[in-house]
Amino acid sequence: MLNNGDWLALWVGIKLALVTTAILLLLCTPLAWWLARRRVPGAALLEAIFALPLVLPPSVLGFYLLIALGPQGPGGWLAQLAGMRSLAFSFPGLVIGSVVYSLPFVLQPLKNAFVALDQRQLDMAAVAGARPLDRFVSLVLPQARPGYASAAMLGFAHTLGEFGVVLMIGGSLAGQTRVASVALYEHVEAGDYASAHRLAAVLMVISVVLLWALFRWQRRAGAQARGRGDWL
Amino acid sequence: MTLEFDIHGRVGDFRLRASGVLPGRGVTVLFGPSGTGKSSLLQMLAGLLPCEGHVRFDGHSWQSRHAALPVWQRPLGMLQQQPALFSHLTVAGNLEYVRKRRGGRVDVPAIVREVRIEGLLHRRVQGLSGGEAQRVALARALVGDPALLLLDEPLSAVDLPHRESLLQRIATIARRIPVLYVTHSLDELLYLADQVWLMDNGLLQDQGPVHQALASLDGPLATRSDACALLNGVMGGFDEEDHLQAVKTGQHVFWLPAAQSRETGEPVRLRIAARDVSLTRSVPEGSSILNILPVTVVAVTPCGPGQHVVRLQLDEHIVLARISSRSLRELAIQPGQRLYAQIKAVALA
Repeated sequence: MLNNGDWLALWVGIKLALVTTAILLLLCTPLAWWLARRRVPGAALLEAIFALPLVLPPSVLGFYLLIALGPQGPGGWLAQLAGMRSLAFSFPGLVIGSVVYSLPFVLQPLKNAFVALDQRQLDMAAVAGARPLDRFVSLVLPQARPGYASAAMLGFAHTLGEFGVVLMIGGSLAGQTRVASVALYEHVEAGDYASAHRLAAVLMVISVVLLWALFRWQRRAGAQARGRGDWL
Repeated sequence: MTLEFDIHGRVGDFRLRASGVLPGRGVTVLFGPSGTGKSSLLQMLAGLLPCEGHVRFDGHSWQSRHAALPVWQRPLGMLQQQPALFSHLTVAGNLEYVRKRRGGRVDVPAIVREVRIEGLLHRRVQGLSGGEAQRVALARALVGDPALLLLDEPLSAVDLPHRESLLQRIATIARRIPVLYVTHSLDELLYLADQVWLMDNGLLQDQGPVHQALASLDGPLATRSDACALLNGVMGGFDEEDHLQAVKTGQHVFWLPAAQSRETGEPVRLRIAARDVSLTRSVPEGSSILNILPVTVVAVTPCGPGQHVVRLQLDEHIVLARISSRSLRELAIQPGQRLYAQIKAVALA
């Protein structure tokens, strides 16, 4: 169905989405907790900055990332430590770009889940002898599970569908930075509409399945939550 | 095992200041109108709300100027207005959560029986009624093997028919674990309190035994329109024909209406509302009132327009009478005077 290059591009995209989602879940957990549960001075400004990828054209973001990751930017300095010339046009560079680009899609669901936690239950867990980390693992994580599911799903799907940023900082190196959306673009450029159709269909199916799984799961979790008494 | 504290702190836009010593046994009721900082004081003592000053429990410092023991290291149990059960766990899971962290030596099945939640153990907490949930919360607090129980209006989410049984459990538990109980309900105070702490405007004011607090004419309780006196007594015989239960307090016997007989010798508390007591100079003839007793006037104070409250000595007991200022004048009531109190209604507290 797909040629080897397209399969490879799809695999690079999925790998990128998996790595990005994992990093974002780790990064956004403390960040979302901090924004949701603490009184932070300047929190609104911080949230606005974290939400920028929602409204900025991806090419703008990509352009700044290109500068930052290039040999003259901080990314280049980091790259030299690792023996590379630049982070631009490399898989690690793509991961950094994707983390920035997909951050709001992971941060927001986690923050909402943390805001919705019942402080009284957290207090009672402390009275029950649970230390802060213990409370997080034994109470917060299980209760914020729907939030984590949304965050992971949205982060994954959004990274998989990324185009503008990847085009700016990726450079379409096969096996390294050429992801499916870029491969699709190149098929169209080359006038190979048959390959483009096949790749587009595969991406479409993946997106629908992911979103369908997410919404189905949320409906079930929602039905359970509606069964709860008001006093909880 | 006494709790001793002297703390102050900000709560919203008012200051809270409190110092006192919680007795090592029985129920101390923290009483006062809503919004005066009772819950906040409880949370400060638990370590859930920051404050300044010192808190010591049983010789250990819970808070000093330099350090505060974190909540999870203080050996206490807590019950709040809302049960706040862990919503992702079953009833048994809620108990297990605490047992794993706190309750090394507790007999969980015994607690489950005591609080009567045997049938609920495998239920999800979402489906419980308010009363059931609060019983589970009480069990959860006990499983932690607490040396002190802090209860913050635990009956407010419980429907009326189930309140009394929960109060009974709390009274039983208070015989082995000291309890600090926050409420603004006089009924709960009358039922439970051994000691009373009065709180107003963020300030912990009077502290004393419940009989004293109720009858102190300078305090806020004796001048309320529903002021009561509390008498300790024991159950006497039951008159089956008239459905009257005798309760002995010292050398007096009170008769109160009752549907069925109770165990003789059981210690009980009698409450006598000040507005149900009237005063006469001599024993009235042909009165329908059953309980007429000789009393001595101790003190008098006005309470509201046209009303006075009279503090009366009945042997070792104190009784209050709320009478009109005109009656006070016409009977020329003054301290030391001997009168008869006609008590229209007596009830178990």
